[in-house]
Amino acid sequence: MNATGIPLKEPSVSAAAGDAEQLERAYIDASTRVPVLMFYTSAMAWLILGTLLAGFVSFKLHSPDLFSDISFLTWGRVRPAHMNVMVYGWASMAGMGTAIWLMARLCRTVLRYPLLLVAGAVFWNLGVLLGVGGILLGDSTGYQWLEFPHYAAIILFVAYTLVISWAVLMFRYRRGEQIYITQWYLLGAFLWFPWLYAAGQLMLFVVPVQGVLQSAVGWWYANNLLFLWFGAIGLGTAYYMIPKVIGRPVYSYHLATIGFWSYALFSSWTGMQRLVDGPFPAWMITASIAATILTMIPVATVGLNHHMTMQGYFPLMRYSPTLRFTVFGAMSYTVFSVIGVLISLRSVARYVNFTQASIAYSHLGLYAFFTMVIFGSMYYIVPRLVGREWRYASLIKLHFWASVYGIGLMTLMLLAGGYLQGADMQNPSLALSESIETAQPYLRGQTSGTH
Amino acid sequence: MNDEPKSPARVGQGMDYGEQADVQQVHAAVQREKREPRVGAEPLSIWLIAIYGLAVFFGGAYLGRYSGNFTSGGLDPMGAPPPAKKAAAGPAGAEQVAELSPHDRGKKVFSANCQTCHQANGLGVSGQYPPLAGSEFTTGGSRRMAMIVLKGLQGPVTVKGQQFGTAVMQPWDKTLTDKQIADVMTYERTEWGNSASPVTPEQIAAFRKELANHPESFSAPEVLAAPDQDLAGGAPAGGAPPKPGEAAKPGEMPKPQG
Repeated sequence: MNATGIPLKEPSVSAAAGDAEQLERAYIDASTRVPVLMFYTSAMAWLILGTLLAGFVSFKLHSPDLFSDISFLTWGRVRPAHMNVMVYGWASMAGMGTAIWLMARLCRTVLRYPLLLVAGAVFWNLGVLLGVGGILLGDSTGYQWLEFPHYAAIILFVAYTLVISWAVLMFRYRRGEQIYITQWYLLGAFLWFPWLYAAGQLMLFVVPVQGVLQSAVGWWYANNLLFLWFGAIGLGTAYYMIPKVIGRPVYSYHLATIGFWSYALFSSWTGMQRLVDGPFPAWMITASIAATILTMIPVATVGLNHHMTMQGYFPLMRYSPTLRFTVFGAMSYTVFSVIGVLISLRSVARYVNFTQASIAYSHLGLYAFFTMVIFGSMYYIVPRLVGREWRYASLIKLHFWASVYGIGLMTLMLLAGGYLQGADMQNPSLALSESIETAQPYLRGQTSGTH
Repeated sequence: MNDEPKSPARVGQGMDYGEQADVQQVHAAVQREKREPRVGAEPLSIWLIAIYGLAVFFGGAYLGRYSGNFTSGGLDPMGAPPPAKKAAAGPAGAEQVAELSPHDRGKKVFSANCQTCHQANGLGVSGQYPPLAGSEFTTGGSRRMAMIVLKGLQGPVTVKGQQFGTAVMQPWDKTLTDKQIADVMTYERTEWGNSASPVTPEQIAAFRKELANHPESFSAPEVLAAPDQDLAGGAPAGGAPPKPGEAAKPGEMPKPQG
């Protein structure tokens, strides 16, 4: 890195070879190299660790006695450790990496203040490391996706503050008149996450709410992390990658506007629908179910917008890995949301609530939708940062189909298992589904290990 | 773009790490890129507006139907009473698992103590151990049967027209509790096609006191001298359910795992 801290290099594109836009993009890409690659490589490392933990967790389901006398290797600690590594280590870091690159490109300016991001990445890694260590040592708080003990949570928050300060600063330096759709979603995500995280931490640990309301806060947080943090980054990325790869404008600005604002409005009301028949005033849960029904508005809008943009260009998916991953992810978003509405209705929730189906739903959001979109963006971004093409097209293909197979099978098994589990209060498919869950991210981790 | 470092000293440094890659190749990805995305302005389709209307309608209807009037007391679960399945799987289900029916408890006692001689099918062993299935002692009044179980039986005996005499039935009053004896007798009297009245622990407790001064085993004539009737204090013939809770639910017993 040079003295200014900005990793710039002379753009190798001569003025004759490309127009001014290309030159500008080459500069911007070069400037994002260190921070984005830092986030990406950390994310990959966490993905591999998380996958190993997942394998261990599912092994424990078959052989619970394995290492059961070693306290930090018990199921109750390894499973939350695995989930938090996946959520904060892998998904959040990879998502931020993509978001950083997109911010720089769409603000049409070289990346400023890279040290903020470098420090952010270091602190974020430290936070996840301490958090996972804390969970394994028995400091888990016991709330889903908020298991990190307070000392890790504070570090994560500091890291996050650095990243969002950078995002706001970058946005102020932007050039050009228009603010592209992707930027709405990214800025939204950057501002929603601290709201969610602070609300969750404050209402559960600093000034804890009483009794059963804690689980209401917990579920609101977990569900909205999926919608407003991962969902917003994923949708924003898809809004960039799809028109970018096929070279065609997004179908409609009006659809995009309605899709974004209705998403912002309705998503934040959801979460309590996971607690149907719980000991709450009925209106709390019903309000969440109604909001979940209303999320059909942004889903239909965004889905239609993407579909109309892609129309006539679907064959391109065969040639562009980015497009293939992104479109699969965008389609999964629709499936994820429709299933979300179905399992929130009281008549269905009565059977599938608190079962594997709930886990299938989270997996659809985090893996089938978000992770696939992010992999798509990685396949696009990384060659631009390292200045090299992907070496093995066949590995990318394998990665895609292994992921599709794994995600599809896992989700179907968990959904079916969840329904049976709920209907019979039995659990016939647990072992099977868990073993698939093990194999799936493992395959993905392996093939994507070619990064 | 105003702070591009332009000093020639940096050429070839920075992030290249001295690699000598072909310039065109390195930036091939950027060069073949399509232009930055733009946004079209297609109008809203009427069908989409219809979908919005549907979603708002159903969301609103749902809110109205299940709001519980927005009171803090309107607790979930809402609407119809929770399905029976849910109720059975709740605390009541757990209770059932903990408390088996007398018949099932008796089966366990039988497997542990009686099955060796009388066999799992209750047919005994021809010439050695008398059968219980269809035996006049098992299916008759519970008094004679209780005498044999509590105090044992020695000497020759005729069961279902067959002679037995070599084996000795051991007394169980020292080994088993009233409840266990009542359970195993109930089991034997209702299994293998038998359909005699059940026996309660209270009956056995009373009868045990009655036999307290009879130290040794009975013989067949002694048993046959006793009246062929049920023990005092039992349910009327026809077999009233032992406990209302247990009789009401046998159909809902959780299926055994695996």
